[in-house]
Amino acid sequence: MSRWTTQELLTRLAASFGAENVEEVPTADGAIQVTLPESGDLGVTIALTDREIFVSTPLVEAAQVSDAAGFNEACLRLNPVNPLSNLGLTTINERDVYIVFGEMAPDSTAEQIELEIRTLADNAIDAVEALKSFLVTA
Amino acid sequence: MSLLQKILTLFRGTAHEAGQAVVDANALKILDQEIRDAGNELIRSKEELTKVMAQRQLQANRSKDRFAKKAEYETYIAGALRKGDEALAREVAERLATVETDLKNDEQAIASYDASITQLKTAITATERKLARVKQQVDTVKATEAVQRAQTAVAARHSGATGKVTTALDSLERIQTRQAERGARLQAAAQLEAESGDGDLNAKLANAGLLPESTSVDNILERFREKPVQQLSHEPLSLPAVEVKDAEHVERKN
Repeated sequence: MSRWTTQELLTRLAASFGAENVEEVPTADGAIQVTLPESGDLGVTIALTDREIFVSTPLVEAAQVSDAAGFNEACLRLNPVNPLSNLGLTTINERDVYIVFGEMAPDSTAEQIELEIRTLADNAIDAVEALKSFLVTA
Repeated sequence: MSLLQKILTLFRGTAHEAGQAVVDANALKILDQEIRDAGNELIRSKEELTKVMAQRQLQANRSKDRFAKKAEYETYIAGALRKGDEALAREVAERLATVETDLKNDEQAIASYDASITQLKTAITATERKLARVKQQVDTVKATEAVQRAQTAVAARHSGATGKVTTALDSLERIQTRQAERGARLQAAAQLEAESGDGDLNAKLANAGLLPESTSVDNILERFREKPVQQLSHEPLSLPAVEVKDAEHVERKN
């Protein structure tokens, strides 16, 4: 079982990331959005369930990828060496979006969750920089 | 079809027309069905295990009775032989033969029950593990769904429904823009400092060769007028630090 409720985690994250950068996203299941000014205002989303804590940030829209095969292969190769996070493909706002995400045990400590959020943001910025040659805007 | 195969089929079939929510709903439906199936399988296997264990127990009890019978017959045979009643001994021995055959059959039956029990227990452990995995998977799907909903809400807030999603690419561009701005600001500040502070005066003094560390054509010529050329070219005395830094092969002497 999770040691956290969304509210508890919200309070804890507000203390470490600054209240102005942490907010609850009003959806059915309750999720937390952390904005990281030092990572170019990247938004990291956190959701809690009984068996895991899911942390995710959008990497790039699939529509912005010019060489999908090359991009996908590069993602698969980056994935095993990416610390504390994975690359994936999902749908946000009815658009295909690549994400960088991490799944944590529900009994993770606040420090572990904070580290995960910062690492995820750093990884996302690093990854998009590394993958830029596969993007339309490159 | 395996569980993951079913979910992949869902993604292939419906992701683009129907949207993620439908896929997630269907994935959850498949997972729920999987949980129900595994649960039923577990109940069936446990019932079967109970039945087989009971049968084994009955068989073992029967076998125990036969062992008692065997001991009894053996006593009778020994007694009959002691009394010299060969015919009676033979009659009892015939019964004993049947009992011994039954005992051998019992042994086989019990071994076969034991094998079934082991098999069922293994199957139950596997099903329990599968059930735990599927339940974990349901949670993962629910968590990804919750995150997607939140990300969609955030994206819609910024750019409207089905609008662009703000990604790490935007953040990278923002970081690079900020870095460029910071660089430009620092440069501007340095320029301002040079124009308004001592920087400007110092530059003028340096150009005039009046600062002690400054190098100017006049300064150089002055040095040549004071000292012989050869000594100067091979043993540069008290060269300004700026020049030494760029020419490390020059030996500095004090």
